[in-house]
Amino acid sequence: MFKSLIDNNEKRSQLSIMAQYLNTSFMISTIENEYLVNIEKGVVKNVEEGPFVMPSYVFKLTAPKNEWIKFLQHIPEPGSHDIIAMLRRKVLKFEGDLHPLMSHLLYFKLLLASLRPAESKNEN
Amino acid sequence: MKIEKEPISGQYGKFKIDGIDYRIYWEEAGQGIPLVCLHTAGSDGRQYRALLNDKKILEKFRVIVFDMPWHGKSSPPENAKVGNYKLSTDFYISQIMSFINGLELVKPVVMGCSIGGRIILHLAINFPDKFRALIGLQSAGHLDPYYDISWLHRQDVHGGEVCGGIAYGLMAPTSPESDKFETMWHYMQGGPGIFKGDLFFYKFDGNIGNEIKKIDNSKCPIYLLTGEYDYSATPEETKALADTIGIEMIKMKNVGHFPMSENPKEFLKYLHPVLNKIS
Repeated sequence: MFKSLIDNNEKRSQLSIMAQYLNTSFMISTIENEYLVNIEKGVVKNVEEGPFVMPSYVFKLTAPKNEWIKFLQHIPEPGSHDIIAMLRRKVLKFEGDLHPLMSHLLYFKLLLASLRPAESKNEN
Repeated sequence: MKIEKEPISGQYGKFKIDGIDYRIYWEEAGQGIPLVCLHTAGSDGRQYRALLNDKKILEKFRVIVFDMPWHGKSSPPENAKVGNYKLSTDFYISQIMSFINGLELVKPVVMGCSIGGRIILHLAINFPDKFRALIGLQSAGHLDPYYDISWLHRQDVHGGEVCGGIAYGLMAPTSPESDKFETMWHYMQGGPGIFKGDLFFYKFDGNIGNEIKKIDNSKCPIYLLTGEYDYSATPEETKALADTIGIEMIKMKNVGHFPMSENPKEFLKYLHPVLNKIS
């Protein structure tokens, strides 16, 4: 589901500028699966899909798969359009050292939203 | 080269608020019924530029928008210190009433968004006879904190970046990117701790419980409009508020928390009929 974050770094060059001093690793969990994302200077360098035995990461975003599917729609429904909106609905949890996330909040929002399809399609 | 001039004029004035002098900046356009607009937490009056340029509204209304103290072009008070700004309900009411009295506005309409949408409820409870009508955008009676707002003012996090990031998500994915960017930009330009200080009112001091029942719509008509993508003050929360007051709410499609600036074209479709009723 999030493996494709490794793609399109070139298209996201403007986004990388927003995080040019950011080096971090974070985990995205769909409960069923986990994705370990490594970022160097704002560029996604590696995405590894779990299961993991001893993953090392700075922070973790956990939401059920169906909630991530709703987030990743071309035009998400209200309440699924933003990670803080999901936090408000208590379907997403932020864990760990949140400094890299909160100091680059817009970057992470746009990075995840970059996985939305350019046109509408049923992703179920 | 010919430039396209806007009908907006800006002015500064010194207002006494709770006994202290404040240098306040405001913009206005149009003539007729005074329509005072209140911006959201951590932003400033630029949010209402579309209204200040809307010919239809300006024919019947004198649209006036002031920057709250510490916001936009309005100054902090003398001897201000970074980190000690905290908006209380009383101070918010005082600044609005001082501004209205200072400009000698008689029975204005007041329209506020977010924290402005909350304070109009306090105005309806305390001063129903002073207003021709009150319009709440993104109004809710109370809001429980749903994220740690200390992130909005930390010396190891750029305040503009984080406040902009928070504001961006409150807008609809369908709103025009350029308008969303400008709305976010206003947030990126706020002073350190100001957004967080405003949220003290929004999430704590300004919460209204049963007092909502004191609002008498027959004394002062109230209109409530909320964008469907707002997760801060949701349409469901505005509906609950409207039910308590005994009025209908208007749910606005394709907009979020900042209807007047994130998608003015869409917002004005909903606002024009409301202003027609008021005029």
